[in-house]
This record gives sequence, structure tokens and C-alpha cells, in this order.
Amino acid sequence: MQASGATAASPAAAPPASEARGAGLRKWAIVKIGLLLLAVVFLPPYFDDRYLTTILISVVFFGILGAIYDLMVGYAGLNNFGFAGVLAIGSYASALCQLNFGTTGWEGLLIGGIAAGAIGLLTGIITLRLRGLYLGLMTFFVGETIRLTISNLPQYTRGTLGLTVAPFENIFGIDFARGADPLNYYYLLLLLGAVIMIFMHWLVRSKAGLVWRALKEDETAARTLRVRATRWKLLNFTIASFLTGVMGSFYAHNLGVLSPLPTEFGVGRTVEVLTVAYVGGRGTLWGSFFAAALLIGIQEYFRGLGAWRLVLFGVLLILVMIFVPKGLARFKRLLL
Amino acid sequence: MFLEVNDVVAGYTKEVSILNGVQFAAEEGKVTVILGPNGAGKSTLLRTVYGYLKPRRGEVRFRGELLNGRRPSEMLRHGIAYLLQGHSVFPSMSVEENLELGAWIFGKDRQARARAIEDAYDHFPRLREKRRGAAGLLSGGEQRALEIARLVMTSPKLLLLDEPSVGLMPKLVDSVYEEIARLKDRKMTVVMVDQNVKKAVAIADQVYVLKLGANSYDGPQADFLLRMDEIVKGWL
Amino acid sequence: MDWSMLADPNILTVLVLQGLVRGAMYALMGIGLSLIFGILGVVNFAHGELFMLGSYVMYLVVGIFGMPFYLGIVAAAGVVFVCGVAIERGLVEQLRRRAGRDWISDSFVLTIGLAVVLQNLAHLAFGSRQYGVAELVAGSVPVGELEISLERLAIFGLACLAVLLLWAFMKFARTGRAIRAAAQNAEAAETLGIDVRNLFTVTFGLGAAFAGVAGALLISIYPASPTVGAEPLLKSFAVVVLGGLGNVSGAIAAGLLLGVLEAFTIFIAADGWQNVLTAYLVILVLLVRPAGLFVLGGKRA
Repeated sequence: MQASGATAASPAAAPPASEARGAGLRKWAIVKIGLLLLAVVFLPPYFDDRYLTTILISVVFFGILGAIYDLMVGYAGLNNFGFAGVLAIGSYASALCQLNFGTTGWEGLLIGGIAAGAIGLLTGIITLRLRGLYLGLMTFFVGETIRLTISNLPQYTRGTLGLTVAPFENIFGIDFARGADPLNYYYLLLLLGAVIMIFMHWLVRSKAGLVWRALKEDETAARTLRVRATRWKLLNFTIASFLTGVMGSFYAHNLGVLSPLPTEFGVGRTVEVLTVAYVGGRGTLWGSFFAAALLIGIQEYFRGLGAWRLVLFGVLLILVMIFVPKGLARFKRLLL
Repeated sequence: MFLEVNDVVAGYTKEVSILNGVQFAAEEGKVTVILGPNGAGKSTLLRTVYGYLKPRRGEVRFRGELLNGRRPSEMLRHGIAYLLQGHSVFPSMSVEENLELGAWIFGKDRQARARAIEDAYDHFPRLREKRRGAAGLLSGGEQRALEIARLVMTSPKLLLLDEPSVGLMPKLVDSVYEEIARLKDRKMTVVMVDQNVKKAVAIADQVYVLKLGANSYDGPQADFLLRMDEIVKGWL
Repeated sequence: MDWSMLADPNILTVLVLQGLVRGAMYALMGIGLSLIFGILGVVNFAHGELFMLGSYVMYLVVGIFGMPFYLGIVAAAGVVFVCGVAIERGLVEQLRRRAGRDWISDSFVLTIGLAVVLQNLAHLAFGSRQYGVAELVAGSVPVGELEISLERLAIFGLACLAVLLLWAFMKFARTGRAIRAAAQNAEAAETLGIDVRNLFTVTFGLGAAFAGVAGALLISIYPASPTVGAEPLLKSFAVVVLGGLGNVSGAIAAGLLLGVLEAFTIFIAADGWQNVLTAYLVILVLLVRPAGLFVLGGKRA
């Protein structure tokens, strides 16, 4: 990225040797990414280990959520501290429609997305005029309101008793029933993630992405360019909420039981996703997957450490904030 | 030299320097005025002297002592006072509380504090009348009086003034410059950044002109007045 | 729900009294958060964990060592003050030095990380059990036909005392006066020789100490546990937003108002709904009067 930026600025000054080296590095990076993708797709059935697959589902799931969070904070500078509330809307919308109106889990993916997108749009309309700090507080309270409302309406949501959700219906002869091979869910998630990531990857390189970054850098300057700041932010917020809702629906049918606890759909969950996004590196999208792998890897590897691993989480977040504000993506060179 | 700025480079971000090697000196007991078009780096020069900005290169010396790297809150104890651009009273505190804070560096010395406040009241009787009122409710001229009173109550040796007459009603402007000229009688050295060329030069001993963060002219008042049209042409 | 009960003066009195006691607690929780925000501009997400620290100190001093309760409160204030100073110097200040103009929104995330660390350290040290202390004061006083416990009245009185002490400190102490000055114009305060950096540290310590005092004082209602800070954090945020960000006296008024509202909500609806009401109210206020309920003229943000 940096190399290409420099050549664009001063094409004459760039020595051809380094350009060739840059291209070589780039080729290597593509090969490495290709190998990584192949491993992600083909290695899990080779090991065929339920425990490992469950962890991989977790990594990819949080990687996607982190990337969605990054779409907001890293590209448009919008911090959504009520993220888990939006996720809850997606989960509960899909689950309750399945329960009450007999929609399928597959339709639920869309239902969850639309419901969460609508909530995101609504939250955005009332919030995005506010500046940074107020935006943070407002989204925090919107998230809490969603969770508390769900928790206080047990006649519809079963509150903290937990709402049982049916799995995805079998499709194309693939078995998604409870107790079926978790690899099926893993591949479903990979497919979902691929679609979402390619979409977001395209989005941040489109005109919208350009405008978002301009707004993030300097809102007053962007405003003088007659960019309708609030509308563009609203677009970002709504898209991100829609995608979050889709993931919420997946979460509901994969997990099988929903409960409006702070660790599931409250501050605790938001903090997890936010940590993934920040540790991965703001404005990188893909960095989230490495952060999710690292954080969940630590968590699983140190199971015996109990609460120490969460201490480690917090310390990591603090260190990243102070010393490595660009996140893991800063060490991309070492990896790729 | 009393205050000396040697080849200073400074700026607000890493990429951009506002001052590009400025030379500057102020003599004890004199009024030195710094002029120049907008964006020339006049205020930045004062902010660098006062420690709000760290010089990237060069040095700032006060009575021979190196000031680089000192923080603004240490300056008054070294005898350097700074009048910020625009109003800087604490608006929801009373006049007396403002003056109490002006005497902050006297620390626990209650007597010195009381004496300094009395002096300020003697100098500006209007402030005594309104001592219990909130400073934010004073008129523009009274606020400026409070700011100057607060600034000189610890008898600093050097005063840095950043556009002292800006934003005041025209009829008050003259009284501010009179007040500044009187400070000279109190053995204080004044360095003043100003847009109001005529009025500032009228009380100045020495004049500097900055352009684009570099020296463009310096000389005594009489010389500047002779060549004023030529120097000022183009940026007024 | 029999609405005519609300016309009963006895019930009304008790509800208002209960509400005021509740409100004094909320004011005490929120005041430190408001102070820190007002001076440093930092929204401290670890506020609830500082509350938690206070309640553990109280438990150790009073529950384990058997000292009188006021010593527990003083110890909590001291310990959490020191923690606050360490947090400001060690973390917040470092972030401010490095992060440049975006440091405020980054400080959100920094304190979130801190909250996670403190919560889990408490978990490691004390486990997930709740530790309480037997009531500070026994007995109750009759109000009409009903009763209100002396314990609650003591909490109310001590909360008021703490707030009064803060007010006196800000009004009359040299440091307090300097803190107010720095809040109004930090740069001008610096030109008067006031070391604003130190004031930031002291203020963070003070705000933390108030969270600690709240945790200690309210231990009979919120027994010490790693997650005890969650609700106080929520209430503190509510109080700070309702009172106007950084407006300490607004936070006190908002606390009392919120307490009374909640007492009525619990009575009319059910326990649990008061939290929903609070959240909706905060959203409404952020929408309509972002400068808080108690600022004349409305919008300042």
C-alpha cells in the first residue's frame, strides 16, 4: 500500500529496482494469503475435530463482527458502544419469527439483517448528528435499552430464562440439525463471511469509502466540500447494522439458546468485538481475523488460567491503545 | 540579551513547520513589537518561547538561561508572563477568585497574596467595585483590565502579549496601549504581537516583521516609521 | 395496580423518601464521573470498577478486620484515590501524550480495557462470591404507618456529607479553586503558573475516590463482587448525562430526580423496569437537551 502510494506521488523518482522488489513482495503476499485461505477451507475436515471446529467457528464469527465494527470505527470514526444490542435484534428477530410465524432460519438471516438494519437506521437518525462523545454515550444507552427491554418482556422473549432456537433447516441435503457435524456450520459461516467481507472490501474502496474517510479525518473540511455528512454516516451505520443482524441470526440458530445477559448481548459482548477490531487495527477490515485468532487462541490455550486470560485481554487492549494504535496490522509485514 | 530566540524551527504537527529558523531578541526595559501578515508565525513564536510548543531546532534563552523544554506552568516563576489571545478570565469565578489565582505562585504566603490583590485593586479601582461579581459578566474592557491585573500582580520581568487590543471596542483600544506603555515604567520588558501596526509601533522601541515563519525586517521604531509603507505594503 | 394507592399520602411520602435515598446514592456514584469528565474530558468506563474496589476495601476493613464503618469509608477513599492517581499518570496521561487530537475517543476504549482488567483481577483475588457487611446502623423509624430503615437514612446523610465536602473543597481550597479554573480555561490557568497536569492527576484521583466512597457506603445494598460495578456505572452515566456532561451540581440534582422516578416506577410497574425507564430517559434527554436537564437555554453541545 505504502509503496504504491509513493510511486503514484512521484513516478519519476521511484527507482525501478525497489518497484520490482515491491512487486515481488506483493506476489509473495498473494501466495501466502492463498495458502492461508486453502488451509482455512481444507484443513478443518482433515483434522475433523469437533472441539477445533467450534473454536474455528468462534474465530471466524468474531473476525467478521470485528470487521463490521471496523467498518464503522476504522473507516467512518463512528464508535457504536451498543453493538451487542444490534446483534441481539438480529438474533431475536430471526428466532422469534421462526417461533411465531414459522419462517425458516434461512429467511431469518434476511429478517435479522433487516430488523437490525432498521434499528441501526433509527439509532443513526437520532444519534449521528451528535459529536463523538455524545455518539458514544447514546449508542451505549441504546444498546442497554434493547437488552433491558428484551430482558423485561419474558412473555415474548422468555427473558433471562433463555429462548430456545431451532437450528437452520436442512438444505441441499446438508444436515444442520443440532448434533450434526459442526463443520457444516463452519462452511456456512465461511460462505457468509466471504460474501460479507468481499462486499465490505468493495464498499470501503468505493466512493462511499472515500467520503467516510474524508469525514473521519476532518468533518469540517468534508462539510465544506458539500458532503452531506450525516447521510453518509447514516449509510455506514445502517449497512453495518444490517450485516450485524445477519450475523446475529446465524448466531441464534448456531447456538440454539438466547439470553439477554450482559456477557451475551450487553457491554461484555460489545467489548469483545471492539477489542478484536482495535487489536486487529482500525481501518484494516482483515486485521480483525488475525486479532480474533490471536485472542481466541490465547483464550483457549490458557483455559486453565481462568480469569487471567481476561486480564491478558484487557492489558492487550490497553497496550494497543497506548503503544500500537494501528493494531496488529502494523506487523503485517512480519506475517505476509 | 534579555530574551533571545536563536534559529528556531517549530510547528504544531510533525509534517509542517510554522517557524523556519527565526532570529529574535528583546532588550531589557524596552517594548518590542512583532508584526507580520496572518499566518506569519507571530503567535507561534510567542507560544514557542512560552513552552506550549517545543522547538525542533534552535534555542530560546531568557537572561542567558536556556528555556527549551520547560513547561508553560514554570514560566511565571521564572518571571515570564503571557497574555493569551482573546479573553482568558475564568468566567464563572468571581473577580476576587480570578485575582487569587493570579497570585497562585505565591503559594501559601497569604500576606504576599493579599498584598498583590490590594495592589491590583489600587491600580484598577473598577475591579474592587465588582470584586464579588462573576468575571464573565464584566464588560470587555473590564475583563481585559482584569487579565492585565492578574498578569502583572507577581511583578514578572518579561511580558508576552498576544494581540492585546483585539476584539475590544475602538474607544477602549487606546487605553490598553496606554496601560502597556505604563508597564514599561514599572521596569517590565514587553514583547507584543499585534495586527494594529500604527498603535503598536507608537509605543514600540524595536520592531520585528515576520513573513512565512522567517525574519523579514527588524530595526528601531524610528527606522521602521521611515520605511513603513515599503515594509507593510502587500500584507495590510 | 391500584392507582388510588398513589393518592395515599403515607405511600407517597415513603416513595418520595425512598426515592431521595436512592437518588443520593446515584448522585454519589455519578459525581466522580462527572468531575473527571468536566476537567479531563475523559469518560471513564472503569468507574464501576473503582466503585467495586471501594466495596472490597470496605469489606476487608469492616468485615474482616472488624473496624468501625467510618474507617472503612475513609480507607476506601484513600485506596481508590491512589488507584485513580496511578491510572491517570500511568495510562491516561500516556495516551494523551501519544495519541494527539483523537485521544478523547481513544480514552473511552482505554478505560474499557482497564475495566476488564480490574474486574478480572478482583475475580482472581476474591472469586465470584458476594461479600457483604452487616448493616451499618440497625433499626428503623416510622413514617406515617410505614417504616424507613435507619440504615438508608444514614446512607442518605453520609452521601450528603460527602457531596458537601466536595463542594467546600472546590469553593474554598486552593487546589479546588485551581481545578475549577482549569476546567474553565486550562491554558489560562497554565499562564498563571498552575501545573494543569498535576491538577488532572489530582482530579482523577478525587473522582475515583468518590466512586470508592460510594462503593464502601453502599456495601449493604451492593455487596462486593467482581461485577458489582455494572449497575453503578449505568446509573452514573445516566446521572451525568441527565445533569449535563461535566456539570457536577447538575449531576447531584439529576441523581435525586432519577431516584424518585425509579422509586415510583418500581412501585407502579415492577422491579427491573426502572432500569428500562432510566435508559429511555437518557436517550430522550440526549436527543432533546444534550446539555442536560438543568442548563438554562438548552443546547450547549
